[in-house]
Amino acid sequence: MSGSSPFAIPLVHNAVGIMTPFLLAAIGGLYTELAGMLNIALEGLILAGAFFSIVFAAATGSLLGGILLGILCAMLLALLFGAVTLYLRANVFITGLATNLFASGFTIVLAFQLFKTKGVIQFPNVPALPVLNVPEALQRVPVLGDVLFGHNVIVYATWLIVLVSAIVIYRTPFGLRLRGTGLAPATIVSIGRDPRHYQLAGILISGLTCGLAGAFLTLQLAAFVPEISSGRGWIALVAIYLGNKTPAGIVVASFVFGLAESFSNWAQGIFNVPADFILALPYVITVAAMIVYAIIRHYRSSRA
Amino acid sequence: MKGRKGFGAAFAGFSGIALTLAISFAIVVALILLFSKVPGTTIFNFFIGPFRNAYYLGNMLNSAVPLVFTGLGIAVAFKSSVFNLGGEGQVYAGGLAATAVCLALPQANGFLGAVAAAAGGLAMSAVIAGLSGWFRMQWDADEMISSFLLSSAVILVVNWFITGLLDDPANNLLATLPIGPQYALAKIFPPSKLNISAFFSLAAAALVWLFMNRTHAGYEMRLCGLNREFARYGGINVRTYLVAPMVLSGALHGLAGVLSVLGTHGAAIKGFSGGMGWNGIAVALIARNNPLWVVPAALLFAWLDAGARAAMLHGDVTYEIAAIAQACIFYLVTAQALYGLARKRSAA
Repeated sequence: MSGSSPFAIPLVHNAVGIMTPFLLAAIGGLYTELAGMLNIALEGLILAGAFFSIVFAAATGSLLGGILLGILCAMLLALLFGAVTLYLRANVFITGLATNLFASGFTIVLAFQLFKTKGVIQFPNVPALPVLNVPEALQRVPVLGDVLFGHNVIVYATWLIVLVSAIVIYRTPFGLRLRGTGLAPATIVSIGRDPRHYQLAGILISGLTCGLAGAFLTLQLAAFVPEISSGRGWIALVAIYLGNKTPAGIVVASFVFGLAESFSNWAQGIFNVPADFILALPYVITVAAMIVYAIIRHYRSSRA
Repeated sequence: MKGRKGFGAAFAGFSGIALTLAISFAIVVALILLFSKVPGTTIFNFFIGPFRNAYYLGNMLNSAVPLVFTGLGIAVAFKSSVFNLGGEGQVYAGGLAATAVCLALPQANGFLGAVAAAAGGLAMSAVIAGLSGWFRMQWDADEMISSFLLSSAVILVVNWFITGLLDDPANNLLATLPIGPQYALAKIFPPSKLNISAFFSLAAAALVWLFMNRTHAGYEMRLCGLNREFARYGGINVRTYLVAPMVLSGALHGLAGVLSVLGTHGAAIKGFSGGMGWNGIAVALIARNNPLWVVPAALLFAWLDAGARAAMLHGDVTYEIAAIAQACIFYLVTAQALYGLARKRSAA
């Protein structure tokens, strides 16, 4: 990854864009993870956000309206997931699967009702996501200027969310209690609070960030593709572990996945590799990363 | 793993299952009323469609066969508190491997060739699933996530084999070359596709029940599922029982794919296994991981699936409405509060 060679810069620039949905889903998933729940519903929440944000963007004629309503829908699905899991005391893995299946089935049924198709739906009237303008002096900074600028607004909103999350998780009473819920729920009960409130809050926050991740996917394409989340929620889940359950670690892990995808997109243009293999690559890389991480952790803990 | 200890025992009684199913079907009816312009026809076809003639009925029974195998595969894993979320890919890879064996042996004896194909498909899926179990045993890498990710990659690679390397240029389907006619399983209910694999599925349910409940290894597996620490203190090699249930689960999923190819399709068709893995999980949950109850639970899901297809064909809602019903069942089937409610109701 020598930053100076000319082909590496667009590769890294693209990676910074591609990592956005991973980063969003993983940072939201971090809240649930810290609250002691393995959230495998991220995938379905992204899909719900993707579908509803572009449908509402087209219906309201406003990008912001679409994004906000898309996030709201993802949060409603998260609420269903959380309420059934916490208050009907259901198994969190099975309800997570339910959320993924529900999102997948419901978006197709609704797409068929509204647009009479189960395939790709184009939205030519939805405006493109605006690119954030920065002073030209900043853009001319070598390498960093090329890599960090020229992305759409959701990319920068994501960085802000990560920054705010780092503060919320480590520097606020809410963050402390959230982490306490995961480490020792009894302490939360002992201060007169209900651990489930913090778990539900974590789930709702993951709905918010996954909704935005979904909006990023469809709005930059101006189209909805069935199953557009294509495993990103699962990869984000792995990113949480690879990032050692810290915001900074998650940024690094998401960047690695972004870079891998950016690289395979580039390789596809150069080598004649079947598209199916290129599509399979993110999953393979994620499993490989997961295993390498598990091996390192295993030998570290056995030496200690 | 959080919340996974004693997972196999975390299910409630039959009144709760009945309540779950009732609520889920009520939601489907409500959705049809909401979306359909001819709700009467659509609802009628959804519930009665699969029974309208021998062809539909036979095909519905036939589609229950792979679900028995995937349901058994999941039940075995869940009973051992091991999560296999890679069923979709394991069924698909098993079907592809069986097809490849048949295509490699175009002139072989039908019975021996089919046995070789079954062995190939079974081994392929057992290895794929076993790998996730082995990662868990060796380095404590979560088998639930790795099995899902591996399966997602496997599905794409199998797609490439079906539409690329083994593609039949003579037909317009996205399917491999057809396997030799001598491998086709005998039909038992023409004109439908129901074939002798139905008997295999019943035998499989009985054998898995016997294995889990009447053998030493099955006992140890269940004990590990109930409480791995306790099992370890009891001198059981608990590490083995992270891999063995995955291997067994993968093999059963592989057989679902093998029998779909030999019995139903006569080739590997792109996407033929779609939904079989997830349905298998639903089947196992409804059956409360009891191998014998897997059979009626599989029939129930075959009915749901066939009903959704009939509703699409003769009504005006799309097939994916079945996925919503399935999601509702997933939401409620482990909901303990719901079962508490059901128990109180039935006691009163």
